[in-house]
Amino acid sequence: MLDIINLHAEVEGKKILQGLNLKINKGEIHSIMGPNGSGKSTLASILAGKEDYEVTDGDIIYNGESILELAPDERAQQGIFLAFQYPIEIPGVSNGYFLKEALNSINEARGKPVLKPVEFGKLIKEKIKKLKMDDSFLKRSLNEGFSGGEKKRNEILQMAILDPIFSVLDETDSGLDIDALQIVADGVNSLRSPEKAFLVITHYQRLLDYIVPDFVHVLVNGKIVKSGDKGLALELESKGYSWLEG
Amino acid sequence: MDKFAARLVKSFNDKDLGTHDLDWVGKYRSDAINLVGNLGIPKLSDEDWRFTNLKDFASKDFSTFSGNEATFKKPKLPDHISSIDGFFIYTHNGILVSDSDYPFSFSKIKDSFDTPEIKETLYSQVSDKNKDFFYELSSAFIEDGIFLKVDKDIKIDKPIVIINSFDSEANLKFINSRNIFYFEDSSSAEIIEYSVSNSDNEYFWNKTTNVYVGNNSKVEHLLIENGSKSSFIFSNLKIIQERDSHFTTNSILCGGSLIRNNVHPMLNGEGCYSNILGLYLSIKEQLMDNYMFVEHLKENCGSRQLYKGLLDDSSRGVFHGRILVHEEAQQTNAYQTNRNLLLSDSAQVDTKPQLEIYADDVKCSHGATIGQIDKDALMYLQARGINKKKALAMLIRAFTDEVVEPIDSEKILDVFHNVVNDWFSRSKIMN
Repeated sequence: MLDIINLHAEVEGKKILQGLNLKINKGEIHSIMGPNGSGKSTLASILAGKEDYEVTDGDIIYNGESILELAPDERAQQGIFLAFQYPIEIPGVSNGYFLKEALNSINEARGKPVLKPVEFGKLIKEKIKKLKMDDSFLKRSLNEGFSGGEKKRNEILQMAILDPIFSVLDETDSGLDIDALQIVADGVNSLRSPEKAFLVITHYQRLLDYIVPDFVHVLVNGKIVKSGDKGLALELESKGYSWLEG
Repeated sequence: MDKFAARLVKSFNDKDLGTHDLDWVGKYRSDAINLVGNLGIPKLSDEDWRFTNLKDFASKDFSTFSGNEATFKKPKLPDHISSIDGFFIYTHNGILVSDSDYPFSFSKIKDSFDTPEIKETLYSQVSDKNKDFFYELSSAFIEDGIFLKVDKDIKIDKPIVIINSFDSEANLKFINSRNIFYFEDSSSAEIIEYSVSNSDNEYFWNKTTNVYVGNNSKVEHLLIENGSKSSFIFSNLKIIQERDSHFTTNSILCGGSLIRNNVHPMLNGEGCYSNILGLYLSIKEQLMDNYMFVEHLKENCGSRQLYKGLLDDSSRGVFHGRILVHEEAQQTNAYQTNRNLLLSDSAQVDTKPQLEIYADDVKCSHGATIGQIDKDALMYLQARGINKKKALAMLIRAFTDEVVEPIDSEKILDVFHNVVNDWFSRSKIMN
């Protein structure tokens, strides 16, 4: 599904990714761990198509085609989703309106019918309930004044509604208490399917107790230096990263 | 006397405007033209004009002109204006050309000088500060314009739509429109003013409207300035509000090469509320100068100023927001906010609050921001599949909608959204 080949990228002239290779197949959950500044969030931003990052070499192939030239909205329409590490607050745009516009855009791009207001209302109510959120949230401005936990839950809600094919979770667990983490993880796990894949970027092994990955990779200085199964995460938890940094 | 003022004084004398069957009219005009001569055209050194240079404007030779009714043709209007279900009134190059039977009265001001309300409004001395060149000019040439009156206890149930159209006859002309809108006690109405030019005419439109809002009356006013891109527009809106009245004015400025937009509500009775809202949408080399002066004269009144600017290309905006709370005006709540989004690197805005408070028990605040489209917000929306144009439109809408929050009239809201969308679809950032 996703093939990252020898990816080099820089931001403001600073080299961040230096030859990253990663292949993710349908149905798999991969986790990337690594110390601060290793390039984890840069990778997430590049996958989503954020400006300011320059890919200087290599490619990202998604379902057989390079996505490097695609705008962020085109990537999202093809089923790529990034749960942001720091979701943006947008005053004046309500959550409900935003979700409706997003879903309509994606459905339209995929040639699916645009939902009627009643159908949309039903869908959203059901998802909100699952994530233990309050109905009033729909009327509030997008992420404005949300607590850290609410913002992260909102990311998962968007994921649940937009039904992506490939999802990147960028430190979705940071700042969450155990209860919130459980809710978020349940949300992710309920979306797992043989047709979908996830890339879970995290700092802490804790999340991987709830979202169990098939593969764990360690990113150091913009390269994957070690890959393994979930056992690697436990090893990192006890030994830290220093033994892998050279 | 400067050349510009001297030409106006000469034109005044040529037209013999100082003489009128009603003595007070002649005197009113003569007093005003003397002030025009004495004040002279405002200069950058005048504190109230420090951001707006009138030199180019003053170098032009505009001849005084009264519209010709015979040449009037109904202007082509965008659907969102022509489809309004309202009472339409047309002016053509400044002269009133409509005559319809509506549930309120309206007439040419020059035909109505014997109506007591006109003299009463013109001479009301609620506040006597800072003589303004363009206001005095409009008084000196008071002749064309509309006198509109809504009687006591009458609610006008459809918007009154005033279309001010200009054509090539207006080119290089000085057009003076002096309106009086008079709302008797416990009346209510919505007024939409829209100006449009059929081509790129370079006219000098000096437009002053005195609004009288009687006790317990409610008036909502939407001004859409969409005239010629080469025109010079000096708009003065002076409002006297009496006890328990509500007045809301919302200006959307899109047309004009130079617009000076003065709004001056005087809260002259207890329990009044005034909303002074505006949106300036500028492109190319346009300059939009907004001068707000909110005067609290009596106790227990509230006012809110909210002006927002979207500035593209090399356009410039000015916001000057002045609040004056007189000693008697205890328990005043007065708020002022000015926010600007610069859509290009060469757009510029100057913003200046000015609070003068002589009462000791008041709540007043002011704030101003100047920013750009938030790239991270744009990315966030796009990352959810929303295309860039749509995402930009959502962010702009979120920015502009705040300006209409206090407006109750659904009809006015619809028109507002349509005008903003129309401007936005033509702006550089969307194309």
